[in-house]
Amino acid sequence: MIRRFLSLEWKQFTRASYFQKGLAIKILLFLAVLYFGGIAIFIGGVMFFGLKKIFPDIDPIVMVNNYLIYWILFELMIRYFMQQLPVMNIKPLMIIPIKRNSIIHYLLGKTILSFFNFISLFLLLPFTIVLLFQGYPAINVILWFFAIMCINMSINFLNFLINKSNTVFYGIASVVTVIVALRYFNIFDVTEPFGILFNGLYNQPYLALIPLLLMIGLYKVNFDFIRKGFYLDGTISKKIKEARATDLSWMDRFGSVAPFLKNDIKMITRNARPKQVVMMSFFFLFYGLFFFTQSMYIERMPYLLAFAAIFITGGFLLSFGQLVPSWDSEYYKMLMSQNIPYRQYLESKWYLMVFAVIIAFILSTPYIYFGWDIYLIIAAGAMFNIGLNTFITLFGGALNRVPIELNSKAKAFSNTNGFNPTQLLIALPKMVLPIIIFFIPYQFISFNAGLIALALSGALGIVFKNFFLNKIEHIYQKGKYKTIAAFAEKK
Amino acid sequence: MIITSNLSKKYNDDIVLNIEHLDIPKGQSFGLVGNNGAGKTTYFSLLLDLIQPTTGHIKNNNILVHESEDWKPFTSSFIDESFLIGYLTAEEYFYFIGELRGQSKSDVDALVAQFEDFFHDEILGKKKYLRDLSKGNQKKAGIVAALIGNPEVIILDEPFANLDPTTQIRLKQIIKDLAEKHGVTVLISSHDLSHVTDVCERIVVLEKGEVVKDLATSTATLKELEVHFAGTEAV
Repeated sequence: MIRRFLSLEWKQFTRASYFQKGLAIKILLFLAVLYFGGIAIFIGGVMFFGLKKIFPDIDPIVMVNNYLIYWILFELMIRYFMQQLPVMNIKPLMIIPIKRNSIIHYLLGKTILSFFNFISLFLLLPFTIVLLFQGYPAINVILWFFAIMCINMSINFLNFLINKSNTVFYGIASVVTVIVALRYFNIFDVTEPFGILFNGLYNQPYLALIPLLLMIGLYKVNFDFIRKGFYLDGTISKKIKEARATDLSWMDRFGSVAPFLKNDIKMITRNARPKQVVMMSFFFLFYGLFFFTQSMYIERMPYLLAFAAIFITGGFLLSFGQLVPSWDSEYYKMLMSQNIPYRQYLESKWYLMVFAVIIAFILSTPYIYFGWDIYLIIAAGAMFNIGLNTFITLFGGALNRVPIELNSKAKAFSNTNGFNPTQLLIALPKMVLPIIIFFIPYQFISFNAGLIALALSGALGIVFKNFFLNKIEHIYQKGKYKTIAAFAEKK
Repeated sequence: MIITSNLSKKYNDDIVLNIEHLDIPKGQSFGLVGNNGAGKTTYFSLLLDLIQPTTGHIKNNNILVHESEDWKPFTSSFIDESFLIGYLTAEEYFYFIGELRGQSKSDVDALVAQFEDFFHDEILGKKKYLRDLSKGNQKKAGIVAALIGNPEVIILDEPFANLDPTTQIRLKQIIKDLAEKHGVTVLISSHDLSHVTDVCERIVVLEKGEVVKDLATSTATLKELEVHFAGTEAV
């Protein structure tokens, strides 16, 4: 029976439209997997020596155990937002004689192969091997590794429950908030007891039984959960959420683009995929921390700060904007036959991106902590984002004809929606251009000249807004039929 | 109102539609019938400029459909579910379409109120997103949305499919009223011969992309169509 399932999965995989796309994408994806896998293995390999060097007094394994809880919470969060639930197309299987239990076992078993399970494996396996070579007691190390892997799998199964049941989600979310808050206000540091716990796993290898039981227990809970809901109106059918009414009439002041803006806000708040993208763009805000904390960039390569500045305020612009017509792919035919001038549609998207940049800029105020120079470069970057990157992004959208399923999360590394070589090519000027614009005046005149040039280029873009929009509209018009046809393709 | 000349659509070498001349006057209720693949949806898509004609053109109220966008303000349509915005409730969707067509909220409310019986209390005020409605209810919402904003041309693809009998009867009345009392040009396609003959003044039969029959509806029409599609015409 399992063999049949596997053959079905294989067909689903090889016949999916994303798989049949160009070879280039497959190679790129493969490289990406290799890259991230490689990084994980590398970090895992050098972690021991690195920790030993930085904290010579503390045993690396103790150090790792102390902070393991943060990794686990981080993983849980990433999984919640990124990991796709294991949904096999179950409806046709319900009426043919296959034991329910074997379908469910298969469904759950499949999640073991998720990419996310391998991150921990890639990270900790090299670390474990290094430990063994360093002469740590083999039984302790191996059972510790085993215990952590069991915890890893427990998270995997827990994630399923969190996604499927609101009670579990709010429960876990409040526990995590409390933990972080306690630590933040220095009331109680949970790192310690958890550190003791994980160190205990290492020191008393037989305790590995506990994570193992935890994993089995969670598997069982999941199993029962699915078993109970194994009806068309149960777990398998999509959740029907009650519609929330949102009053957005205050947006009417934006005139003719208001209906679209209101619609876009609803689109973002009511669908899984755009929500995910907005979450991601929030993380972009912290991108500056990589750069501004290192004096090397500030003193020797300030032009790279322009690059960071683009990312800080442009998270939404870059991640949401690059998929612009695709967001409306599900009802594009309607938009094209309704009483809508293309121009208005594009303009509304432009406004949306501009708002997002302004909001991100306001949120980036704390960067003043790193000095006014830094803050000014963020401001100049925001100007560039508003004035030029918005148009480059809209232009890139004209070449993007990949439909998006709004209400399903993007799968990591298996969903190539909007991921194609043209997109990469379009993304390049968005990042390189600001560096060049900043670099030339900076090199020949001064830092401030670079700032002014960057800000001015953005201002110029705003002045020529109508010109750019006209050009872009023309390109969209030309590709209209192709876009409609591509969006109509079912996955 | 709608003049089609020398219109053809080819995919690779397959001709899927080839209409030499078709003139639909204002205020006519026009029915298009034909088996699967006859070219009904292709013709409607060309009317809405969703696909590009290989040759020829369609003029909607003297506007060349594939060159200007000016036909959009007075033309509305419901072809399939991809005309609905799944994450909106029915009310929100109606208001959105209303805004696009320059109708105030109260205009939309007034229009939608006329169709309360049509909705059987299953669509309005249910706090349900359109994507969560049944196929039939989605269709009802789409058809009503196509009536918003006093359009002069209404295009409905398979409006009777998936609808319950009560609604089918009500919809027939609505379509008749639109054409007779309000002078709206209504174009519908259907597989249900008795429905189209009930509703339409004129019925065109498409076969493999060509017009094979163009009938003014009379009492004999249904019989004639049934004979045609039964394939026993030679008798």
